[in-house]
Amino acid sequence: MTRVRRFLRQMLTVARRDFVATVATPVFLLFLFAPALMAGLSAVGGIGAAQMNDGDTDRARIVAILPPSQGRIMAAEDARLRRIIPRGGRPAPLAIVAPTADPAAQARTLVAASDRDVDGVLYGDLARPTILLAPLARFSGDYLEGLAHATLATERLGDPVRVRARRIETRETGRSIGGQHQAGFLAVFGVFFLTLFLAGQVVGSMAEERNNKVIEILAAAVPLEAVFGGKLLGLFGVAVLFVGFWGTVIGELLNLLPAGVSAAFGELAPAIGAPGFAFLFAAYFSMAYLLLGSAFLAIGAQAQSQREIQMLSLPITLIQVAMFALASAAARAPGSTLALVAEIFPLSSPFAMVGRATSSPSWWPHVAALAWQALWVALFIGAGARLFRRGVLQSGSGRWIRWRRHGAAPPA
Amino acid sequence: MGDQAVTATGLMKRFGDRRVVDGVDLAVPRGAIYGVLGPNGAGKTTTLRMVLGIIEPDGGARTLLGCAHPRDASDRVGYLPEERGLYPGMKAKEAIAFMGSLRGLPWSAGRARAVEMLAAAGLGDAADRKIRKLSKGMAQLVQLLGSVVHRPDLLVLDEPFSGLDPVNQEKLEALILAERDRGATILFSTHVMAHAERLCDRLAIIAGGRRRFEGTVDDARATLPARVHYQPRQRSPGITALLPPDAVPAGEGWRFALPADGIEPLLATLIAADHGIAGLSIERPSLHEAFVRIVGAAADDDDGAPR
Repeated sequence: MTRVRRFLRQMLTVARRDFVATVATPVFLLFLFAPALMAGLSAVGGIGAAQMNDGDTDRARIVAILPPSQGRIMAAEDARLRRIIPRGGRPAPLAIVAPTADPAAQARTLVAASDRDVDGVLYGDLARPTILLAPLARFSGDYLEGLAHATLATERLGDPVRVRARRIETRETGRSIGGQHQAGFLAVFGVFFLTLFLAGQVVGSMAEERNNKVIEILAAAVPLEAVFGGKLLGLFGVAVLFVGFWGTVIGELLNLLPAGVSAAFGELAPAIGAPGFAFLFAAYFSMAYLLLGSAFLAIGAQAQSQREIQMLSLPITLIQVAMFALASAAARAPGSTLALVAEIFPLSSPFAMVGRATSSPSWWPHVAALAWQALWVALFIGAGARLFRRGVLQSGSGRWIRWRRHGAAPPA
Repeated sequence: MGDQAVTATGLMKRFGDRRVVDGVDLAVPRGAIYGVLGPNGAGKTTTLRMVLGIIEPDGGARTLLGCAHPRDASDRVGYLPEERGLYPGMKAKEAIAFMGSLRGLPWSAGRARAVEMLAAAGLGDAADRKIRKLSKGMAQLVQLLGSVVHRPDLLVLDEPFSGLDPVNQEKLEALILAERDRGATILFSTHVMAHAERLCDRLAIIAGGRRRFEGTVDDARATLPARVHYQPRQRSPGITALLPPDAVPAGEGWRFALPADGIEPLLATLIAADHGIAGLSIERPSLHEAFVRIVGAAADDDDGAPR
């Protein structure tokens, strides 16, 4: 018991040093506020892009060359049809132009005009119209065709039949399957997104001790397992600080959202219940971080130089993306073999299991999964320490079982 | 085992095909200052690292403060590695407290002791300075204080004097003696004989990965006969017949090893032959000479019988 306590104490000492050394630097503030910078930049970019978009629709037109009598009917039909198309999908505004002697030439002139884009021009007899289309403007053609149809119908029938239904809006009755898949994907993505930025930090963390030779002091004073565990824990503390900070900020912002948006989030309600899900999300985020972190720490500790650590960042990002892809595929197909594989494979397990929490209400798989993942964290730390002891400290010649039995390292 | 702070029997370590340590035995009595002497690359550091449990031996056994596994005693051990290293961003007192806390000393106690110890070492104003702002010698002293802040029962110092100026070497010697007086056992390695001669109660000489000598400083010096410098009243040709065969002329006199039966019979002969005594000195060999002889013999040995 005292051995375990001492191990924990040693690990916390290392963790504390790493946490303080990371947090108490000006660069940490840059790191902490990086998402704000990113959000700010993307907002500026988004506004710019939106303005350009608006400009496009302002300048683009679809044109119908019609006599004024038909033109009035078409304008009314356009106003009616336009309403049932979602805002983003609507065609460019319609302009009605009176025909000249040669409507075909008139249409060509309109399309070629340089003062504004013309997506399409309709001319000729409404029953058999010709539509001159700008490249990539097929939808405008479909729309003009529909308009011609509606205009002609109204003209022939006089006052056409107008149906006005009585609408009854239902309240939310339960979770939709689509919503569950959506929630599963969002949860997997959330865990992935957080670990992508945070777990990669761990890769280079043993380099500091190797460069400044402190490793000799650490290795003499505490077992390497405690050094590895402590480093992981210290950086995990940094990650928790980061997530906690932004979690609070985003939570406060969500409270400010209008009720309609909150209701849309209700659609995403996880099967396991909101409080349980929050707990599991935190637990699986921790496990994802610790699993990937311990694997990366073990690999990074072997690196001989800063350059090698930089070279490692690509494969490491690829591993994370692969785990994410596997787990999000699993979230879309709960209960499938693929999902089971993703849930059992240690590196993808936290991602896949958080997805499972959105689709299945039972708790026991989570207990088992967390234990399974914790076991792998311990295994990675143990393997990392062993590799380091052999490769870097030049110890051990393959007879590690012997000193393990002697109690070299209490279980992590 | 109870009165030995460190024991090692047949310690062996292979790096690749090379046997860096090839069956070293050590027995460091509690409360002693024990030196591990040897030329560069003799395997001193590797031996110390195995004793401390930083690396595992390929063969042999060791005990540290009575524990079969060194890790179990790690809180009672202080260690100054040969390659010094501290976190450059840490304040001096934090660095000392950190090293103490690795060995189980609470941070607050470590900080308080650090301030006291730095003041006692004349570095009181460095307590709040960052390591990177300190000179190399100061940083080395900080690290040394960090290795004793938890008041260990055993202090292991690997080449502690290297890189220190003579004043700081004096300070370090004083600190080692103070630690011994506190009751700690000190095990240190060096290839500078002067320190070993002044400090060590016992020592081991390692060369070529093997222990070549174990005993006190006097024992080591006794491995070589004392040197006699004799100056006759006047130089006369017949004297060489009376002197031992290894006598060589040196200045006005002769130099030779002290004969096995003492100097008196020789003196009686010389006086009887009327050579007289203008000067006579019997010098015991220094540890330096003994070391060179032992290490040199070891090298010849290894050349004769390659492994």
